[in-house]
Amino acid sequence: MIILIYAGMLKYSGFAAAGQSVNDLFKQFPASVKAVLGLGELDITSVLGYYAVFYLYFLLLTGVHAVMLGTVIIAKEEHDKTADFLFVKPVMRSKIVTAKLIAVLINITILNLTTLVASVVFVEMFNTGPPITDKILQLMGSLLIFQLLFASIGAGIAALTRNIKKATSLSASVLLTAFIVSAAIDLYNKIDFLKYITPFKYFPAAEVIRTGTYAPLFLLLSLLLITLFTAITYYFMDKRDITI
Amino acid sequence: MSVIEINNLTKYYGKARGIIDVSFSVNEGEIFGFIGPNGAGKSTTIRILLALIYPTSGSASIFGKDCIAEGPEIRREIGYLPSEVFYYDNMRVIDLLQYSASFYKNIDKNRIYKLAEIMDLDLNRKIEDLSYGNKKKVGIVQGLLHQPRLIILDEPTSGLDPLMQQKFFDLIHEENKNGATVLFSSHILSEVQKLCSRVTIIKEGRIISIEDINALKRNNYKKFIIDMDEAVSEDYFNIEGVADLAVDKTTFTFLFKGDINQMIDKIHGKRLNNLRIEEPALEEIFMHYYEKEE
Repeated sequence: MIILIYAGMLKYSGFAAAGQSVNDLFKQFPASVKAVLGLGELDITSVLGYYAVFYLYFLLLTGVHAVMLGTVIIAKEEHDKTADFLFVKPVMRSKIVTAKLIAVLINITILNLTTLVASVVFVEMFNTGPPITDKILQLMGSLLIFQLLFASIGAGIAALTRNIKKATSLSASVLLTAFIVSAAIDLYNKIDFLKYITPFKYFPAAEVIRTGTYAPLFLLLSLLLITLFTAITYYFMDKRDITI
Repeated sequence: MSVIEINNLTKYYGKARGIIDVSFSVNEGEIFGFIGPNGAGKSTTIRILLALIYPTSGSASIFGKDCIAEGPEIRREIGYLPSEVFYYDNMRVIDLLQYSASFYKNIDKNRIYKLAEIMDLDLNRKIEDLSYGNKKKVGIVQGLLHQPRLIILDEPTSGLDPLMQQKFFDLIHEENKNGATVLFSSHILSEVQKLCSRVTIIKEGRIISIEDINALKRNNYKKFIIDMDEAVSEDYFNIEGVADLAVDKTTFTFLFKGDINQMIDKIHGKRLNNLRIEEPALEEIFMHYYEKEE
């Protein structure tokens, strides 16, 4: 992640030097390419605009990390057949789930903080305009919510899936589908209503930067979904037949 | 007092049969054998006792407490050794054992070292570097380190060489002498014969019989091997009480249950080459049970 950010900001110095011509170049890109790359209407020669484009890649990377982490940590004991060791110990299953979810939380937070620190350091290194640290902080906040959401989705999927080997591919498909839907929304305004089903659209970078806040509706929706999937994880792990 | 009490326990995996209407109880201080061919439902029963899976109907209790509702509390007193052992590959043996110990209260830490020494287990190796037999030893130590009052063994001897099997049996005997109750599941009858006082036989998900192992051997069957010197008809010995009659030319082999004088009368006055009367191995008695049921 650190290397990615560094390399990305290095590239920015090139863009910034080229100035307006880069913007013109990107304007000529077909809308579909811009949508997939997450360029949208941002001015990528300003350091903030450029960083906002970056944000999409953060979403993708941390999303994959979170959803896989959530799935694997729940599914792992059965998959590795260590379930016969752990689940015959004198502890409630819910306690095991809690321990695992706390581990996920710590892991995710570390990745988020790493991204934050690397962003602040490298952005300032190449930034020629006013500092944007406050904006970065805000973006990392929404990133954390996004990570938590996908981690809980992953855990929920693992708890719901009977065949544990299918859980990871199912989780990956959910993430990918959410991403494709969000790219599709950028292309066709008519399917804008679909933004409720893809967390990629809950806190768009451009909006977070412009308003300086998170949309309350989506904040609430995220919270609800995280709670729902966490509850699903607890409930179905408790009811589950542990077979290996 | 019974330690394990199982009542009409039934488990279906979807539509597939697990166990049907299983009932038996294990008394405090005994080594109870749980016998049946692979796929008969031994592991299913044990996994319900450990609350790894949930019964479709019926109930099971250990120490008078419901296995499912009070699982965590019950499991403090249970040591479990599964037939196949899997542990966290990147842990060292000692780390795994200490992790295992951390789940229990009032652990005697020296026990890990004592058990490891008996089982000849190297504590500093990584789990992933261990042979299957050595992993099994880890399983034995982690199953016994908290001095459980109930030991549940699910086909425990696979992967252990005969010497280690003997050490393992000695260990189980020792624990039993110190008051532990043992549920021992196996499809190898000779080891059950060696260890257990009572056995139950399970077949295709149903209990077909519960027996005292000595009574089973003592009261029931004698094995006859008679080599005739004169010709007799093939069903000459096929009287009431005879089972599994096999005739190979002049040699008659069968199990007999009943008044021994009846059989002596049959033999009396006939010319024999050879006669042997043996205690049948448990295998033969059980084969007889299995066949009878079919």
